Amino acid sequence: MNPAMPTIFLIIVLAPLAAAVIAGIFMRFIPRHFSHWVTILGVAVSFVLSVYVLWQMLYNSMGNFNVTVYNWGVVGNVQFQVGFLVDRLTALMITVVSFVSLMVHIYTIGYMADDPGYKRFFSYIALFTFAMLMLVMANNFLQLFFGWEAVGLVSYLLIGFWYTRPTAIYAGLKAFLVNRVGDFGFLLGIALVLTYSGSVNYAAVFAYAPQLAGQHMQLFPGLAWSVPTVICILLFVGAMGKSAQVPLHVWLPDSMEGPTPISALIHAATMVTAGIFMVARMSPLFELSDTALSVVMIVGAITAFFMGLVGIVQNDIKRVIAYSTLSQLGYMAVALGASAYAAGIFHLMTHAFFKALLFLAAGSVIIAMHHEQDMRRMGGLRKYMPITYITFLIGSLALIAFPGFAGFFSKDTIIAAVHDSQRAGASFAYWCVLLGVFVTALYTFRMFFMTFHGKERFVVEPGGKHDHGHEDHASEEHLAPGHLAHPPKESPWVVTVPLILLAIPSLFIGWLTIQPVLYGGFFGSSIYVAPNHHVMQRLTDEFHGAANMVRESVTSPALYLALAGVLVAWFFYLYAPQLPALLAQKLNAFYQLLIHKFYFDEIYAFFIAGGTRGLGNALWKGGDGVVIDGVLVNGSARAVGWLSGVLRRGQSGYLYHYAFAMIVGLCLLLGWLLLR
Amino acid sequence: MVQAVIFIVLAAILIGSALGVISARNPVHSALFLVLAFVTSAGLWILLEAEFLALVLVLVYVGAVMVLFLFVVMMLDIDTTTMRQGFVRYAPLGVVVAAVVVVEIGYVVWTRKLGVTFGTPVTHAAKYSNTRALGDVIYTTYAYPFELAAVILLVGIVAAIALTLRRRPGTRSQNPAKQVRVSAKHGRIRLVKMPSGRSRGGEAP
Amino acid sequence: MTFTLPAFTPAIPEMFVLGMGCFILLVDVFLSDRHRVVTHWLSLATIAATAWLTVTVAENAGLLTFSDMFINDSMGNVFKLFTYLTVALTFLYARDYFNDRNLFKGEFYVLGLFGMLGMMVMISAHNFITIYLGLELLSLSLYAMVALDRDSPAASEAAMKYFVLGAIASGILLYGMSLLYGATGTLDITRLGVHIAEAPDINIGVMFALGFIIVGLCFKLGAVPFHMWLPDVYEGANTPVTLYVGSAPKIAAFALFMRLLVEGLGGLRAEWRTMLIVLSILSMAIGSIVAIVQTNLKRLLAYSTISHVGYILMGILVGTTAGYQAAMFYVITYVIMAAAAFGIIILLARKGFESDRLEDFKGLNDRSPWFAAMMLIVMFGMAGVPPFVGFFGKLYVLRAVIDAGMIWLAVVGVIFAIISAFYYLKVVKLMYFDRAPEGMKPVEASLDMRWVLSGNSLAILLLGVLPGPLMALCARVITF
Repeated sequence: MNPAMPTIFLIIVLAPLAAAVIAGIFMRFIPRHFSHWVTILGVAVSFVLSVYVLWQMLYNSMGNFNVTVYNWGVVGNVQFQVGFLVDRLTALMITVVSFVSLMVHIYTIGYMADDPGYKRFFSYIALFTFAMLMLVMANNFLQLFFGWEAVGLVSYLLIGFWYTRPTAIYAGLKAFLVNRVGDFGFLLGIALVLTYSGSVNYAAVFAYAPQLAGQHMQLFPGLAWSVPTVICILLFVGAMGKSAQVPLHVWLPDSMEGPTPISALIHAATMVTAGIFMVARMSPLFELSDTALSVVMIVGAITAFFMGLVGIVQNDIKRVIAYSTLSQLGYMAVALGASAYAAGIFHLMTHAFFKALLFLAAGSVIIAMHHEQDMRRMGGLRKYMPITYITFLIGSLALIAFPGFAGFFSKDTIIAAVHDSQRAGASFAYWCVLLGVFVTALYTFRMFFMTFHGKERFVVEPGGKHDHGHEDHASEEHLAPGHLAHPPKESPWVVTVPLILLAIPSLFIGWLTIQPVLYGGFFGSSIYVAPNHHVMQRLTDEFHGAANMVRESVTSPALYLALAGVLVAWFFYLYAPQLPALLAQKLNAFYQLLIHKFYFDEIYAFFIAGGTRGLGNALWKGGDGVVIDGVLVNGSARAVGWLSGVLRRGQSGYLYHYAFAMIVGLCLLLGWLLLR
Repeated sequence: MVQAVIFIVLAAILIGSALGVISARNPVHSALFLVLAFVTSAGLWILLEAEFLALVLVLVYVGAVMVLFLFVVMMLDIDTTTMRQGFVRYAPLGVVVAAVVVVEIGYVVWTRKLGVTFGTPVTHAAKYSNTRALGDVIYTTYAYPFELAAVILLVGIVAAIALTLRRRPGTRSQNPAKQVRVSAKHGRIRLVKMPSGRSRGGEAP
Repeated sequence: MTFTLPAFTPAIPEMFVLGMGCFILLVDVFLSDRHRVVTHWLSLATIAATAWLTVTVAENAGLLTFSDMFINDSMGNVFKLFTYLTVALTFLYARDYFNDRNLFKGEFYVLGLFGMLGMMVMISAHNFITIYLGLELLSLSLYAMVALDRDSPAASEAAMKYFVLGAIASGILLYGMSLLYGATGTLDITRLGVHIAEAPDINIGVMFALGFIIVGLCFKLGAVPFHMWLPDVYEGANTPVTLYVGSAPKIAAFALFMRLLVEGLGGLRAEWRTMLIVLSILSMAIGSIVAIVQTNLKRLLAYSTISHVGYILMGILVGTTAGYQAAMFYVITYVIMAAAAFGIIILLARKGFESDRLEDFKGLNDRSPWFAAMMLIVMFGMAGVPPFVGFFGKLYVLRAVIDAGMIWLAVVGVIFAIISAFYYLKVVKLMYFDRAPEGMKPVEASLDMRWVLSGNSLAILLLGVLPGPLMALCARVITF
């Protein structure tokens, strides 16, 4: 094996960190353009090396690496280390992460050009890249948790990036709090793993996994639970928080308050997929528990279908994509639940490309519309911005799984896998994901038509003092919504080049990689599937090449559902635009349910937040105010303060007092020594 | 036998004078008691055949240090009455502590002689020279501590100069170099042009 | 008589410092005040060269020379290197301070270098005579440095107190040593250790001597009840001098503990352990409690030192290798933190404004967010908040104590750590949540000081994140 590999792994991780530190700490001393060059360089180094690692894995048959680079601490018999587990799963993930991150870095130059927090932003996204790479390259639970929390932290910072907006602060807080719930489960899961296996190292834990299978524990007296089930469900609770699965999904749509590049990088392509990645990485544990896998599948199916429904009624272009992300994450979770981990990761990869593309293209639209995100004030943009239009179309087709596009291969595989699965809840999940195809097509093309086709629903007000370009937003704020200072135009090259570069994999990555990744045993030993869960094996038998798969899709219901979705979108939003409002009126109850996102936020706000605050108030006034503050804290503080005042008088300032104290001390010491 | 008598006499004087140092009312008396203590302890050292150390003690401490000390004490105007007040106030406590120390030391020396062997002092031949014995080792075996002691003295000099050598503002002092350099042309005679005081007679300049 | 020349190589750093000290003393005489900065850089260059020499000489570690009075071992070399580091930091921080006050004199540097020589002698001592002489060399330099600002009554008073009390402590230590010599007949540390190990029962004279020696050592370290000089000296002296007094000598004093108590009197571990337990608890208690009512930051830091000394003693008294290693880690990291703390006071001070009262730190965040953050790091570090290095210092010490079965002592340590966190956090509160008084100027300091001070503070964070290498270093050099 290549002895330089551990160094390469270190460089992959540390290059973005170094860039983030330089751009962040020396923010005041470096010029603006330096901050983006240094971070792009750092991430580019990571990307190139990641490709190299992947290349070595694929073509030079390099084996797995499990190296420890630093021993951080030892508590009892448990070692906490910093180390890297690099197998094919990791290699794929780091390549995807660093590629999307690189694209987003370049895109940001254009998108954030006018922002005062320009350098801070670059520092954050480079830091995010570091944290995400740490997460996927970890070889132990502690480092995984570090990366997990670090990406959460950067996500929080970036959602609240425009910290003067109250909505952004609220969204950041919400993301933080909801993720705490998930992390609590995750941490408990890790703790259980540590308790039973005595180690946090993946290799040791997985080696111990078979012994875990038969064990039971009592959560409540008299009720025995299978240990692997409890562990896996707790770990999945963490994944639900990070990957925004129902019911912990509420933070993701709000996170669109952050800048668009962030929505693309963190809230679509990489961070939110951490939960999916984690479950795939833990496949040796999840395979021990059918119950846990069923939970994963059902939660994923609910998310996939119902969150797609909400997407249909959204008017903010980014929120539509956000709900689509939720829905697609649900698909990935369903795949995991069906033991088709490879399919889940495959969808994760294709989704990373086309969803990043969609977000960035939406961002390009938003730039052109002068930071207007409401689709009701768009329309007919096709002729103003051709490159954005075409790339957006490619992204949309990939998202609705149109045969031949990247999303098709991954999503159809998932649907087929669920169809074949014998697990409890599989038939429910199957219907959810199948109907989800229709919903996906509907909201995607609704968004597409509303943005790029139809009548222009904005007014251009030329003239006046509008010759100052993009820099001055202040003069635009006095314009009424839907009124633009000058007509929309295509974005600069730093924005369009990443779009084109992301459109290419959105088109072809499915064709090229389905055979090796899904059916060629690409993941090897990095994913473990129990012998009786061989869904993927059956699919492999039926698979006869990518072209055949496209041909066979003509006979599958999914294609027709997707086409039906597109047709309905066309009918409602281009052919008869007055119909949706009418329909909303007729089906008011259902419409209200969707527009309120199934009342999740309201329920949380009333019961959980309100209840907690009520309880908190009671405890604060009674328990904290009187007992703890009054007696324990202030009482002991007062006692110490009093003692302090008394003792300080010993420090009289007189030399002979000091000398006398020394002598007395000596005498007592000697006396005690001699007489004891 | 003779030595024992001399030892007891000298030791008694030593203890008495040490008590005198701290109990005398007049600081000059205290200093003189200290001189006496030094001299008697020098005598004790001679009994131990350490005549070099004894002589150095007399020369350095009695001859130099204590004389300097007496100078300082006599030059300073010390208010003995306030010192007396403090003494009386703290004397009982001091006596108690001193008694404790005495008891402890006595306890160690007499009550529990466990393992402490008081050997008789080594005696040497008549031609033995303590000075020579010291000289043999001080520049060989003990060269390193000797040099360190020298460095400490150097630091003492540096510190003393740094703390005392200073130009106080307003002190009148001569600058001989400047005095030598003056010439009649430059500086010794200065011609000052005075305006005639006719117009505003009587006003001070 | 025959006389063989001793091996000089192991002591080359000491000889170099001595030579350079004398050289700088001479050079300084011929410098005008404008060129005084030459002395400054020359002293720093001397320290750097000494460090290089120490590393070079370290190859033949474990060497005894000068009739076994001097030892060159790896523990001593590590102590020396950290001593150089803190002395160099003191010099760097001191320049602007003295420049502003017309106190920029060569004597500070010369005395500082001689004091450093004293510490080196103490660290390398292998005989009671050299221990005592090194201690006196250091002490004399310290007394003089404290008194250096002759126009300040506070400084003179502090110097006087320090001198008299220090003389008493030296006398006590010397008395203990002479008793030990009387009881064992040797001044050599190794032979003393052998003598005590071979003695059939514990000699009462040795016990008595042990008491005196511990008192003498504890005075140098500043343990209660021999701590009285500390607050007055810290407050009275000029801040750079306080920094000098409060940092490097702690390392040397700890080295003395290792040499005298562990190497020499290790056989009496059970006896000195009980004594140190009392002193350790008293130090933690007085240090943590009395600091709360202080209004002067230098005085507060003095009490904080006292409480840290309690933890250092706690590591020593365990009497296990792990305990010594933890104590060594603690003392080194403490010295780094203390240097940063006083450095920040120096940074904020200017002519006529010492910036050593707590209220001078009000609203520091508005005046200089960066240095407020640095002070935050220092305060959190001292309070033992993870991930700063102070946490690991306390963690290692407490773990060693628990491993030795003295859980109750660890509990006491934790309680006082919590009490002491109060006043560290009070400083943080003043900096971040209080408004600066009117007329406070923004912070100004020379560029090199800003960089060094930032590096010093960030080291507290860095060592906290990566405590491994330093701990490994401590584990490598302490093998008793």
